[in-house]
Amino acid sequence: MEQTRYRPPVWRDVRVLRVVIQVLAGAAVLAILYVLWFNLTNNLRAAGLPTGFDFLTQPLGVDIPGSDISPSSPIWRGLLNGVKNTLALVVVGIPLLTVIGVLVGVARLSTNWLVAKAAGLYVEILRNIPPLLIIFFVFNAVVLRFPLLQESLSIADLVLVNNRYIAMVGFTAQPNFGPFLAILALAMLAAAGVWWWRTRRSERTGEHHHRFLWALGVFTVISLIGFFALRGPIGLSRPVLDGRALEGGYTGLAAYWAVLAALVLYTASHIAEIVRGSILAVPRGQTEAANAIALSPFQRLRHVVLPQAMRVAIPPIISQYLNFTKNTSLAIAIGYAEMTRITFQLIGNGQPAPQMIFLLMGGYLLFSLIISLVVNVVNRRMQLVTQ
Amino acid sequence: MKAIRLLAVLAALSLVLAACTQAADTTTTAGDGTEAPATTAPDGEETTTSAAGGEGSTTTAAGAPAGDGRLAEVQARGSLLCGVNNTVPGFGFVDETGEHVGFDIDFCRAIAAGVLGDAEAVEYVDLTAEQRFTALQAGEVDVLVRNTTFTSSRDGGLGATFLTTTFYDGQGMMVGADGGFTTIEDMTDTTICVLSGTTTELNLTARMADIPYTPLTFDENPQIQAAFIEGQCDGWTSDKSQLAGVRSAWPEDQGGPEALVILEETFSKEPLGPAVLDGDSQWAQVVDWIVLATMQAEEFGIDSTNVDTFTDTEDTNIRNFLGLPVETEEGTAPFDPGLGLAPDFAAQVITQVGNYAEIYDRNVGADSPLGLERLLNELWTNGGLHYPPPYR
Amino acid sequence: MTVEAPVFEETPPEVEPARGAVDWARKNLFNNWYNSLLTLALAVFVIWALLALVRALFSADYEIIQANLRLFMIGGFPADQLWRPWAATYCFTVLFGVVGGSLSAGARDRATEAGLPHVRTTFRQIVIRFWPIVGLIVVILSFTTTVTPTLLTIGALVAALGAYYLGRVLPRAIRRWTWLIAVVLIVAAYVALAGFGGVGWQGWGGLQLNLFLAFAGILIAFPFGLLLALGRRSPLPVIRTISVTYIEIVRGVPLITVLLAGAFAIGFLIPRDLRPSLVTRMLIAIIAFEAAYIAEVVRGGLQAVPRGQVEAAQAVGLTPWRTMRLIVLPQALRATIPAMVGQFISLFKDTTLVAVLGITELLDATFIVNSQSAYLGKGLFVVTLSFAALVFWVGSYTMSRESRRLERKLGVGER
Repeated sequence: MEQTRYRPPVWRDVRVLRVVIQVLAGAAVLAILYVLWFNLTNNLRAAGLPTGFDFLTQPLGVDIPGSDISPSSPIWRGLLNGVKNTLALVVVGIPLLTVIGVLVGVARLSTNWLVAKAAGLYVEILRNIPPLLIIFFVFNAVVLRFPLLQESLSIADLVLVNNRYIAMVGFTAQPNFGPFLAILALAMLAAAGVWWWRTRRSERTGEHHHRFLWALGVFTVISLIGFFALRGPIGLSRPVLDGRALEGGYTGLAAYWAVLAALVLYTASHIAEIVRGSILAVPRGQTEAANAIALSPFQRLRHVVLPQAMRVAIPPIISQYLNFTKNTSLAIAIGYAEMTRITFQLIGNGQPAPQMIFLLMGGYLLFSLIISLVVNVVNRRMQLVTQ
Repeated sequence: MKAIRLLAVLAALSLVLAACTQAADTTTTAGDGTEAPATTAPDGEETTTSAAGGEGSTTTAAGAPAGDGRLAEVQARGSLLCGVNNTVPGFGFVDETGEHVGFDIDFCRAIAAGVLGDAEAVEYVDLTAEQRFTALQAGEVDVLVRNTTFTSSRDGGLGATFLTTTFYDGQGMMVGADGGFTTIEDMTDTTICVLSGTTTELNLTARMADIPYTPLTFDENPQIQAAFIEGQCDGWTSDKSQLAGVRSAWPEDQGGPEALVILEETFSKEPLGPAVLDGDSQWAQVVDWIVLATMQAEEFGIDSTNVDTFTDTEDTNIRNFLGLPVETEEGTAPFDPGLGLAPDFAAQVITQVGNYAEIYDRNVGADSPLGLERLLNELWTNGGLHYPPPYR
Repeated sequence: MTVEAPVFEETPPEVEPARGAVDWARKNLFNNWYNSLLTLALAVFVIWALLALVRALFSADYEIIQANLRLFMIGGFPADQLWRPWAATYCFTVLFGVVGGSLSAGARDRATEAGLPHVRTTFRQIVIRFWPIVGLIVVILSFTTTVTPTLLTIGALVAALGAYYLGRVLPRAIRRWTWLIAVVLIVAAYVALAGFGGVGWQGWGGLQLNLFLAFAGILIAFPFGLLLALGRRSPLPVIRTISVTYIEIVRGVPLITVLLAGAFAIGFLIPRDLRPSLVTRMLIAIIAFEAAYIAEVVRGGLQAVPRGQVEAAQAVGLTPWRTMRLIVLPQALRATIPAMVGQFISLFKDTTLVAVLGITELLDATFIVNSQSAYLGKGLFVVTLSFAALVFWVGSYTMSRESRRLERKLGVGER
C-alpha cells in the first residue's frame, strides 16, 4: 500500500526544526541577558554602587549652566533639564534646517550658474566633514570670537550678542493681555472667513483668489486696531546689560548657538541632496507641461515640481530629522547641558554609570519613537494623496 | 561565488582580529584584586639570595612574590598601566614628540622603576576626569596618578584607596588682571569656567552658593583654555598649581603672565596623590613606599646624580634604604622590609627617576616654566608636610 | 550615527548652449533681474570669501602642524619605531595595488570573453578621480621637515604601481586567491605595527586610529549585520523579534551613547577579570552599533532581489540554504556595495566621537595641541581644525565619489 503521507524523521521535520531553532535562539538570548544582568548586579555591588534607581532623588551637587536649578534639587530634575535643552535644539533646529536645506537643494538646480555652483560647493564641503569637527570649529573659531561681554553688540536693544550668549527681545504680558488674546482669536476667525469667501469667489469667477494675502491683511488690520485700542497689551522685554548681569529677553548660551548652527548647516547639506534628487526624480514632462500653461518659474516650482518631489523626499528627510535629533548629543563636546552632557557630568561625579546610560538611551529611544510615529502618520497621509 | 569569498574573507578577518583582541587584552589574567591576601609576606630567603651585589640588578624576576595580587600581575605583564592626565602642563601632558611628561608621569615612572626595575616600562592610559574612577574600578589601570584629590567619598564610595599625597594643593580662582576682581565676593554675575567631574566643580558650587554666577563646564583643559582666552569666562577655577602652570605659560601676545591674577583665597584643600583599587593592600603598600622613597631620598640627600657615591656609606639607615648589604646575624645581606619588592628598589627609583626634589623642580618647580615654590610640599624638615615614615 | 543621504546621479544643471563668454554670462548669470541681483550679491560674497581664505592661507602659522604632524598621523607611537607605521602603510599600498590590478584584469577578461572592447582607465581619469588624495598627500608632506617621508611616500607609490601591474599579470588561477593575499597583507600590517615589541591598538592614536576603528569596525560588524538582516527576514517569529528589537533599539540611539556605554558600562557587564582597554571597548561599541546599520543596508539589498529568483531556485530544487547562498546573497550583496561604502564614510566621520572620551584620535589631537605651551592662547584652532577637516573631507569626498561611480557601474537601482 502506497503511503499517502510521508513522515520525515523528527530531526528533519521542518515543523519540529522551526520550534527547536526558535526555542534555542530565545534561550540563548535570555541566557546572555541573564549573564549580563548577573554580572551587572554583582559588579555594581562589588564597587559599592547602588543597583536601583533610588539615587535619582539624591541631590544634584552641581550647578547646571543656563538653568536656575539649585544644586540641592534631586538628580531627576537635572536630567529633565537636559531633556528640555535637547528639545530646545530639536524644536528650533528642524524648521531651520528644513528651510535651508530646501533652499540650497533648489539652488543647486538653478539656471544661474553661480548660484548652482555655490550651492554645490556648500553641500560637498559640509556633507563630508564630521559633524563633531564642525561643532568644534563653529564654537572655537566663530562663537568664541564674538565680542566680549563688555563690548556686547546690541542691535537696537532687540538682540544682544557677545561670546557668552545671544539674547533676543522677549514679550511680557501687560494688564490688557487677556482681552487682547480674545481680539486675536476674533481676528483669526475673521481671516478664516475671508479665506473661505475668497476661495468661493475664485471658484465661481475663476479670478485669482489671493486668499492668503487677503486673510493676512484682515488679520493684521484687526489685531493692530485691537493692539492700539488696548494701549499696548504686550510689552517688550529688551535684553539690556546692567553691569555684568543681563536683564530681560530670551537668552541662549553660546554653546547652544554653536551646536545649533553647526548641526543645522551639516544636516541641511544632507537635506539639500535629498531635495535635489527628488526634484530630479520628477518627470521632465511635468516641467514642460507647466511651461506650456505659462506658469511662472516660481509657480512651476511651488505648484508642480515641489509637491511631487516632496512625496519622494519626505521619508529620507524624516530620517535626517532623526539623525539631527541624535546628533544633538554631540553638544557634549562643548559643554551645552543637554541630556548626554548632563549624564556624562553626573557619571563623573560618581553616579552609577549603567543606570544613567540606560536612562539616557531610553530618552533617545523615546524621541526616535515619537518621530517614527509621526513618520508613519505622514506616510499614510501621503499615500492617500497619491491615490 | 564572489560574495561567498567575500564572506569568507570577512569571517577569517574577524577571527584574526578577535584573536588579536584576546592577545592584547587578556595579558592581565592573573587576578581579582579584591580577593588578594592582605599582606603576603614574601619568602624571605628568596629575596635575600637575590640581588646581593646591588649593582645593575633588575628586580623583575627577583622580587616576584608568591600570590595573585596586582603586584604579581604587573610583574608578569612586565609593564605598569598608569592612568594619567594628558592635558595639564607640568603634571601630565603630551609633548610634541607624543611623549608623556610631568610630575604625575614621573611618579608612574618611579613606580615602574621600583616594581619592574625599568622606569620606561609604563603604559600610559589617558583618562578624562569623568573616566578615571571607572577605569580604576574596572581594573583598567594599576594605579591612578592623575592629579586626583583624596576625599572621603572617593575613598569610600568609589572603591579607591588613596596613598601618600604627592602634592598638597588648594583650589583657587584665576582672573584677568584688568577684570577688577580682587576677591571671590566681587565675582557676582560672572561666568566661571570649570572642569566637569572634578572636586573643583563641587567646591565651586559650594563656594558660590550665595553668589549668582554661571558655570561653564568642559571635559578637557584645552577647551577651558580656549574659552578663557577668548574672554568667554571671567574666572577659571582649578587647583592653584594648575592655574600657575597655565599662567606661567601665558603667551606674551596676550600680555604674558602679568595679564593674569590668581586670587589669594584658597577655597578648598586638594591633597593630590596616587590611588589604587580597594582590596589589595600589598599593591597599595608597594606603590605607597615607592612614593615615600622619593621623599626619603631627599631627606637623606640622595639624588640621581650622587646615588653612586653612597655605595660605601657607613650610615646603616642609608645602606638599608638603598638595599646595600649590611651585617646581620646571619651574614651579609641587604635589608628587606618585606614589601615584595627587590631590596634595591629605592636605588632603582632614585637612579632612573630621581628624588622628590628633582621630580618637583624638573616638572613644576624652579627648573620648570611653572616655577612653583615648594610651600606645603617641602619636607617636614623645611616646614612642609612631607614626612616619610622611617625606613627600617 | 548619520545615514548618508541617498546618492543621486550627477547631472549638470541646465546650462543653455551659448556662444562666447558674454553670451554665456548673459544666459547663465544675468538672464533676468533677480538672477542678476543674486549673481552680483553672491559674486561679492564669493570674492570676499576667496580673498579671506587666501589671506588666511598665507598668513597662518603652520609651525604648530609641522611640530605635531606625527601626533596627528599616528598619535603617541614611539618615535624610535616609526618604521612600523611605514611598514603597515606599505602593506596597504601593496594591497590596494594588487586588488586594483586584479579587479581590472578581471574586468578585462570578462570584456574579452563577451567580445566587447575593454576600456582601460586612463591616467587622466585617475588624476580626476583621485586629485583630492594626491593633493592631501602633497599638503601633508609639505609639513614634514626631513626628506625621508617624501622618499618613503614615493616608494609607496612605486610599490603600489608595481603591485598593480603584478595584479594585472597574475594568471587566473592565482588571481582567484587575491582575497587571500589581501588577508595576508592585512595581518602583516597588524603584525608590523603590534608584533614583536610593537604597540597594540590600545596605544594607537591620530589618523591611524580613525582608520583602524573605521575599517575594523565595519569589517567585524559585517557578519553580525548580515545575520541580523537574515534574522529580520526570517519566517520564524522569535528570531525575527530578536533581530528587529536589536536593530531598532540601536538605530534609535546616538552613537555617542553607545560609546559612553562602552566606556563606562561594559566594565560592569563582563566579568571583572576581563579588562579590555578603552580603545577595545570603543571598538566593541562601534561594532555593536554598526551591525544594526549594516543589517538595514543588507536588508535593502535582499529586498532588491526579485522574488522570481527565489521561486526559480525553488523550482530547480535548491534547498533554502543553497538558494540563499547561491542565488540571493550574491545578488543582494552586490547591490549593497554602494550603500556599504556610504556606511563606511559615515563611520569614518563618526570615529571622531571617541575624542569625547579622551582618546587622542586625529580630531582630539588637533584640538589639544593648542594647549602646548608654545601655542597656548595663540588662537590656532582654526589652523589645526582646518587640517583635520581637510583630512576628513578628502577621505569622505573621494569615497563618496567612488561610491557614486560604483553605483553607476553596477547599475544598482536601475533594475
